[in-house]
Amino acid sequence: MKEPENVCNENTFNLLYEAHGKPVWRFIYFKCGDTAQADDLVQEAFLKLWQNCAKVTKEKAKSFLFTVCNNAFLNEVAHTKVVLKHSKIQTDRTNFHSPEFLMEETEFNEKLKNSIENLTEAQRTAFLLNRIEGKKYTEIAEMLNISVKAVEKRMSQALATLRKEIGNV
Amino acid sequence: MNTIKMEKDHLLHKWLNNETTPEELEQLKADPEYASYVQIADASSGFEVSEMNSESNFEAISNKIKPVRQLRKSNVFSIVWKVAAVFAFLLSGYYYTTTLDTSVKTEIAQTETFSLPDGSEVVLNSGSEITYNKKKWDHSRELSLEGEAYFKVTKGSKFSVKTAEGTVSVLGTQFNVSARDEIFEVACYEGLVSVAFNDTLLKVPAGNKIQIENGKLVINKPSENLSPVWLADESSFENAPLLMVVKELERQYPINVSLENVDSTKRFTGTFSHQNLELALKSICEPLQLNYKINNNGAVTIETKNSK
Repeated sequence: MKEPENVCNENTFNLLYEAHGKPVWRFIYFKCGDTAQADDLVQEAFLKLWQNCAKVTKEKAKSFLFTVCNNAFLNEVAHTKVVLKHSKIQTDRTNFHSPEFLMEETEFNEKLKNSIENLTEAQRTAFLLNRIEGKKYTEIAEMLNISVKAVEKRMSQALATLRKEIGNV
Repeated sequence: MNTIKMEKDHLLHKWLNNETTPEELEQLKADPEYASYVQIADASSGFEVSEMNSESNFEAISNKIKPVRQLRKSNVFSIVWKVAAVFAFLLSGYYYTTTLDTSVKTEIAQTETFSLPDGSEVVLNSGSEITYNKKKWDHSRELSLEGEAYFKVTKGSKFSVKTAEGTVSVLGTQFNVSARDEIFEVACYEGLVSVAFNDTLLKVPAGNKIQIENGKLVINKPSENLSPVWLADESSFENAPLLMVVKELERQYPINVSLENVDSTKRFTGTFSHQNLELALKSICEPLQLNYKINNNGAVTIETKNSK
């Protein structure tokens, strides 16, 4: 049997950065809402991965990165809002709708954006991982180290909060 | 009502996981509440979020790793030091235990025969102890004795027996040393033994024995025995105080002797056996006109014959 490959090899490490750097960054950005802090945490996580390269197999590297980031985040006190940019779908739809609808939709998106930014950290992270990163509940559960049921609950709560904030549309 | 809601919740989560059929989505949208959830969720997916700057972060990580890599090298170096320290510790432990003195000890009614590193033989009498150093034995044959022992020394360098009373040195011979309390007794059976006590150096030739009491020579004369009598399971005395005889008796038998109305400085010359307590007591008491009584708990009382 082949020994499980660890990540001490520089090439392996670079490949892992290519593969997981962005998702980890997003994940942590959804949590803290601060790009500079996300940069720091991601750098910290990869540094830790390198320092512990002998103990971490290639397969375990992903969950190692998420766990380290999550723990580092929990240690930091400053939580700020996630800043969302305007929807890109909006532009696609412009051609097919009336100016009133456009107005309405812009308003709706603006409200939605603010509401998402005001969600609790737990709800926001799960919600954005699902909606923007397209992660399945099982994947989110693994990243956040919680159960799938808990993810379901957070999603339901997030949707209910958003609907209430925006008002019946 | 509740079950319907649960079912719809289930459908909603299924849709959020991208696992619904178009029909199921229609079913979900039929409820205005869930329709708005779908709308919210759909719209949310459209938002763009900041992206990580891959290059700048990678550069930052690389810069942080570099000093770590150098650090790792010194870590390897420190591991070498750790290993070296452990070895040094083990080595010193080994050295310490091997240079530690070896000691042989006998209890009451027990004798022990053993060889020294050079092949010399030692028979240790009851209640005695010998201490010597195995490591140093090669260049100095020296041991310390408390009690009584018989030595058969192989020829070689000076062989010394240290006791509290004096030191016995030989080159290769057979001799017996007894150093109990204030009485120091040396008997030589082969060769020549030199005995140093106080400031005196005395040579004891084969077949002779000497006895020193309180630093004074009291006996120096030929002995009729070819080997110590205690090797034949007997104890022999010549003009010895009764107290010393009783102490020897207590060493050879698991008993407690108490003297009643008896002068413990009375002198005794004779032999007693180590095999039979009754016989041994008789051999001591008869010539001294004493009576003895053996109690069932191992206590022996010796008293004067005419005291009753």
